[in-house]
Amino acid sequence: METSISLEPKPADAGGRKKVLIASIVFMGLGHILYLKQYLKGFFLAAVEAVLIAFLPRITKALINLQTLGEPKPHLPIRLRDNSIFMLIDGVVVVAAVAVFIATYIISVRDALTEYDQSRGRTVGIRESINKAFPVLGLAPSIGLIIFFVVVPLVFSACVAFTNYSSPAHIPPNNTVDWVGFDNFRALFGGSKIWTQALGRVALWTLIWGALATATCYFGGMLMAVILKESKIRIAPIFRTIFILPYAIPSVISMLVWQNLLNATFGTINRTLRALGIISVSIPWLGDPTMAKFTAVMINLWAGFPYFMLLISGSMSAIPQDIYEAAEIDGAGKFQVFSKIVFPIVLYQTAPLIIMSFTHNVNNFGAIFFLTGGGPVVPDTTVTSAGGTDILVTWIYNLTVNLNQYHYASVLAVMIFMVLAPIAIFNLQRTKSFREGEL
Amino acid sequence: MRGKARVNLNTVIVLVFLAICSIGVLYPIVYVVSAAFTPGSSIALDIVPFGSGVTLDHFRYLFKNTNYPIWFRNTFIIAISTSISTVVLASLGAYVFSRFRFTLKKSLMTALLILQIFPSFIGMVAIYVILLRVGGLNTLWGLVLVYVAGNIPYNTWLVKSYIDTIPRSLDEAAIIDGASHFRVYWQIVMPVARPILTFLAIASFTGPWMDFIFPKLVLRSADKQTLALGLFSFVTDKKNQFTVFAAGSLLVAIPFVIFFIATQKLLIESLGASTVKE
Repeated sequence: METSISLEPKPADAGGRKKVLIASIVFMGLGHILYLKQYLKGFFLAAVEAVLIAFLPRITKALINLQTLGEPKPHLPIRLRDNSIFMLIDGVVVVAAVAVFIATYIISVRDALTEYDQSRGRTVGIRESINKAFPVLGLAPSIGLIIFFVVVPLVFSACVAFTNYSSPAHIPPNNTVDWVGFDNFRALFGGSKIWTQALGRVALWTLIWGALATATCYFGGMLMAVILKESKIRIAPIFRTIFILPYAIPSVISMLVWQNLLNATFGTINRTLRALGIISVSIPWLGDPTMAKFTAVMINLWAGFPYFMLLISGSMSAIPQDIYEAAEIDGAGKFQVFSKIVFPIVLYQTAPLIIMSFTHNVNNFGAIFFLTGGGPVVPDTTVTSAGGTDILVTWIYNLTVNLNQYHYASVLAVMIFMVLAPIAIFNLQRTKSFREGEL
Repeated sequence: MRGKARVNLNTVIVLVFLAICSIGVLYPIVYVVSAAFTPGSSIALDIVPFGSGVTLDHFRYLFKNTNYPIWFRNTFIIAISTSISTVVLASLGAYVFSRFRFTLKKSLMTALLILQIFPSFIGMVAIYVILLRVGGLNTLWGLVLVYVAGNIPYNTWLVKSYIDTIPRSLDEAAIIDGASHFRVYWQIVMPVARPILTFLAIASFTGPWMDFIFPKLVLRSADKQTLALGLFSFVTDKKNQFTVFAAGSLLVAIPFVIFFIATQKLLIESLGASTVKE
């Protein structure tokens, strides 16, 4: 019914449409009030713009502060000095709010025109208004939360990468923070020898760690899934239940327990090996940089293989039985069936989750922090706080919490973004819904 | 005869392999259980589990001399609020993204996807200041807001791809019959999407139990601590009460383990289904 109206606009209405457009642009919601008789929506939109105008002086001030980040005023008591970090966050919040306002403005103008085409002049009841606003009302809380607790913090982090926000000379409220352009990037990429070396070391290990952790867990899980399925052992379910346990135990607990067991002097593992006469000198599981890396990957295998075991079991049980039977009739051996049929299918189906698992491992704070604490200490640790097994995220944590070197921590966060965002987009473009344009 | 002997040999090899792996998997679990019941507070565990007798002292200590019950209560409140809010907001958003066409939709969805790859503590300084500004520091709700915001991007995608598989004819018929969008969401789409929502409710309930960074950042006073903070304090803070830590960990881990074992069939199915859908 509505479509038939909008398909045949009467010529005389062109002027009316223009009036709605102009009114909507002049003041948000005006078109709705004057021409569409949608008072509820119209007044709501107008109120939003009124609030914005009322706050205009404060918004302008916040934007100016964002540019200057305050002046140092050493003569004032600390409480009255300019707090650069508050200014920076307020500035980012204001920019976000203005962006939301502009988006709302555009949507309101478009909405006025659509409404005009569809319902011109017909009074719209409150119930119908609310029903039509459902998509907006449904998304608003999510988007609001995401903007304030995800987007603003990330943008803030990215901004800090271009300031000198760091201990000891630039920590508010005692001192102000200033914009420094690309200085931090220069320092970390060649400018400061010790930081550049540490960054290269940690970044390389983060990538190796991500790849090794994913590969070991994937193939470990696949091995278990295949054995449990192929071996016709009656007690296979018992083994499967045992193997699920590491997945069920919260990783903080299991990693702290492993840390205790692996301790070089009092840890049970070394003492058991000594008591059995297998070793005479304690093995520095977590004390030697290379050894600690190896240990971290192995313990991560312990914690991570059950996930892929479950995943691949599920994926294999979805393969139709007749494929196996057909292969058997053709005389294929068990190994051939696996390498030519099962493995390719499973790999194809789980590929997106392998990529996700890689990004998860690159960000796997708990597996490193609670097991090795980033240690052991290497030559540059005293300055950079990056230990032998620290990955980028645990290093960020150290830089923020222990050293208050927020500016370098933010550069690292920007780097993680630049590495991981393309991977996420690549993963998205492979999905079915994206390719079929249903997004 | 020879064929049967070979099959048996294979079975034996497989059994031995599985047994060795089981020992490796169970090793730390056995020791943490043993530590929980070991008398004294030594950080050096016995080489033989349960080698120096059994005691319930550490459990008594937890409930009498520490704030363990309060940590448990706080964590439970945080987990249940996070779970409910995540399910409601993610399902609403997913329904809108799945069924409506609107300006900026594609950009919003791509933004969500990119946002979900960040560990949210990258922005922790900003989150701290924002919570300070809105009075959310040292409150449980402040922490819940942070968790829910962090959960929404990925889970909206997850639920949306599930709702996409529900035939549109179902809700279109209801709309023609005059049902409002909210009614379609609440009475038609939600019941059909129950499997994925159950999964989401469980996943977002278990998440906060052992998170460490944000409670450490947001919660300050002794009456606001969570389990992860409390348990971690037993093995650091120069206390070195590993046996008490083990006892506390055991009490948290047992419900998780029972739950995972009870639902392993469902887990395999839902994980398997998530691969096929891609």
